[in-house]
Amino acid sequence: MKLGLDIAESARISLSALMANKGRGALTALGIIIGIVAVITTMTAANGLANNFKETFSVIGADVVYVSRMPWIIRGPDEFARFNRRPQIELDDGERLAQALRGRAVVNPYVGTRELVRYGSKTLDAMQITGTTDKMVVMSGTLPETGRFLMPFDLQYRRAVAVIGWEIKERLFENRDPIGEKIRVGNRDFRVVGVMAKEGQGVFGGTSTDVEVYIPVTTFAKIFGGRQRGFDVDLAIKGMSPDTLADLEYEVIGEFRKIRSLRPGEDDNFSINKLDTLVTAYNNIMGVVVGVGLMVTGIALFVGGVGVMNIMFVSVTERTREIGIRKAIGARRRSVLMQFMFEAGVICLFGGLVGIVVAWLAGIAPAWKGARQDPIEALRYE
Amino acid sequence: MEATQAPAAGSPTLLLEQVVKTYVMGDTEVRALRGVSLTIGRNEYVAIMGPSGSGKSTLMNMIGCLDTPTSGSYLLEGLPVGKMSDDELADIRNRKIGFVFQTFNLLPRADVLHNVELPLVYAGEPRASRRKRALEAIERVGLADRAHHKPNELSGGQRQRVAIARALVGNPSIILADEPTGNLDSRTGEEIMRMFDELYSSGQTIILVTHEDDIAAHARRTVRLRDGLIESDVTNGARRRPAAAATAPGP
Repeated sequence: MKLGLDIAESARISLSALMANKGRGALTALGIIIGIVAVITTMTAANGLANNFKETFSVIGADVVYVSRMPWIIRGPDEFARFNRRPQIELDDGERLAQALRGRAVVNPYVGTRELVRYGSKTLDAMQITGTTDKMVVMSGTLPETGRFLMPFDLQYRRAVAVIGWEIKERLFENRDPIGEKIRVGNRDFRVVGVMAKEGQGVFGGTSTDVEVYIPVTTFAKIFGGRQRGFDVDLAIKGMSPDTLADLEYEVIGEFRKIRSLRPGEDDNFSINKLDTLVTAYNNIMGVVVGVGLMVTGIALFVGGVGVMNIMFVSVTERTREIGIRKAIGARRRSVLMQFMFEAGVICLFGGLVGIVVAWLAGIAPAWKGARQDPIEALRYE
Repeated sequence: MEATQAPAAGSPTLLLEQVVKTYVMGDTEVRALRGVSLTIGRNEYVAIMGPSGSGKSTLMNMIGCLDTPTSGSYLLEGLPVGKMSDDELADIRNRKIGFVFQTFNLLPRADVLHNVELPLVYAGEPRASRRKRALEAIERVGLADRAHHKPNELSGGQRQRVAIARALVGNPSIILADEPTGNLDSRTGEEIMRMFDELYSSGQTIILVTHEDDIAAHARRTVRLRDGLIESDVTNGARRRPAAAATAPGP
């Protein structure tokens, strides 16, 4: 009943007190503003990084299981040494796995090396050369922008054909049509049959098709297979439905143990990898990063809070007499408390709102840039 | 030593019995009041006098419900003030006591109207009637044209009149004035005292705390304190008419 009047009076008093000390209140609010902006920016950045991560690694495919010699995440040199002793995964292993999973999953091998790529007088150093099959299209869903992808007969006849990434095409051919041209990969000539669509690169610099050259895996084996001690194949397995990824993983482990003739009780001498593992690892790292970031920005906010506390102490001290007068003429404890709470509340609320607006304006800059895009330019952008 | 029991006008507004107040300062105990018994009835006009250190201020704080006795009892209109909590005392001060201080004690940032209506704000009075009563009180002290001035735009006498309006507005049982003319020149002081006289004439109970005989002379009864005890309690003789009243025309 009296509460409403108390609030009205508190509002009136604290607002007039704040108006009498505008500069002081504004500086105190600045502490809160900085704190709020810091916290919001950190959270937005963390969110942005998480989205960027997902985009970057979407190439991997959320519904694909990989069989590799090494796991994607290795903890320390000891683990590396242990995994490095494992037998290599051969192309034959992939074929046997494909046979075993026939009708249940698609198996596609990937094998890679780095080679010099040359066209005419232009050379590109250490480009990623990937040997794969026509099934890659099923795996990643990416298609060439011009020309065609690898075909079964390319593989069967070990043809020297290549599908090149968008950036490689730009750097070697500029505006010329690369289809049918001969490029040199290592010391072999390949005929370009397709150009992949531009993919762009995420901040994490994950694999991008833009800087890769795809050749038939059989051709790869013929040319590069003889050197070193052969090559290591990654097998990508995609099930019929993304919902059954866990089942697929078990099946793949079972079938591959059979291929490897492992007895029960023996450890796997291969690794199962999937996007999930990366995401988990990423979340662990980002969890720590974001946690530390929020802690630091939280301290900024806390310092802002200390500023408010300080200013309230000053405010109470310099109004000792006013409090005395109010109490003498009948103010209860609650009334006096509310008066100062209200004042602190106004400073904090003001600081918080301005902080949100500042953070929001910071987000407007990119949005503004987006909004004023020339539609023709925007459509051309891939 | 004269210790005549003053005639009570009506039933007692204020009844102190053997009130003792002790303060602990460091490790010494100071007995500011050592057993004060005092009865003040409705519509009395009492001056409390005494040299500094006599317990005058302590007694005033006690009567004004700003402090509670260490022992003894204090009944304000039959209410036992001695055993009340802080918030209950705040309510009693709000409803029963109107303070007028030597230093005026107005809120500097609030205008006259807001200062005067403040007790009603804390009493929970709705805005409209609060405003109406505050304006009436302001008019009563002759400051109707100054209702929206800030205290620093007023003279000392005007400020004290604002304080009187603030003391009056809640219609209190007692107006408790502590050296109300202490910060004013003698002429303005007389004006303020005439205002108290008028309030008394209209039925208000007034307690003045002062060390000036001129001021005390306005009251109908004088209570003198010394060393924490009542030294004398006398009814003033024929009211001395202040000389200034003859020259200054009444409002």
